[in-house]
Amino acid sequence: MTRALLLAVALSIALPAAAADTAKGDAAAGKLKAYTCAGCHGIPGWKNAYPNYHVPRIGGQNYDYIVAALTEYKKGERSHPTMRAQGESLSEQDIKDIATYLSSLTPAP
Amino acid sequence: MNESNGKSEMTLRIFAPLALALLAASTSAIAAGDADAGKAKAAACAACHGPDGNAGIDPQYPRLAGQYRDYLAKALHEYKSGDRKNPIMAGFAGTLSDADIEDLASYFSSLEGSKLTDLHGKVSQ
Repeated sequence: MTRALLLAVALSIALPAAAADTAKGDAAAGKLKAYTCAGCHGIPGWKNAYPNYHVPRIGGQNYDYIVAALTEYKKGERSHPTMRAQGESLSEQDIKDIATYLSSLTPAP
Repeated sequence: MNESNGKSEMTLRIFAPLALALLAASTSAIAAGDADAGKAKAAACAACHGPDGNAGIDPQYPRLAGQYRDYLAKALHEYKSGDRKNPIMAGFAGTLSDADIEDLASYFSSLEGSKLTDLHGKVSQ
């Protein structure tokens, strides 16, 4: 009885944690897939043209937010032409991998 | 007469560019917003984006601290106009004036302790 209870408690803690881990992507794969991103997001101070504004900093951004943003571009719910084209070329796994990698970055000390 | 015309023309040549430069400086200051005023207007933002702008509680919300000022302003304008659709942000941005948006963008972009970075040097082949 006690053992069964302990097992149940242990599983209830471990399972959601394991599920959350597998739900995220692969940072190493994401690093390779993020190569294209650096073309615009890699250059400090790089500006979008027409309209003119700085391309956002995405390194260190939160995982869920990056997944949501890329998914919105993929579905056409967010309207930047270049980012829509990028989003359409990405699978759900690509998006998870890229978001895992980008969210792991930190600013240089 | 000629001499005085010449003088005023010279004055104009010297001072017109100066006046233009001052005007340009003052308009860019207006466009950049007031970070202190932004701080006062940012109380509602903290619930989701964190008191430090780093959105450390729930990863569905983006970190704002240290993001580019003009990108933040663009995002708020898009939420306000409906070009970018998010039920929560539509509610907040809809109440903001253009000046509020510039102030908030200046405030969040100026925050210390940013966790955001450009990808420069981070992504290699």
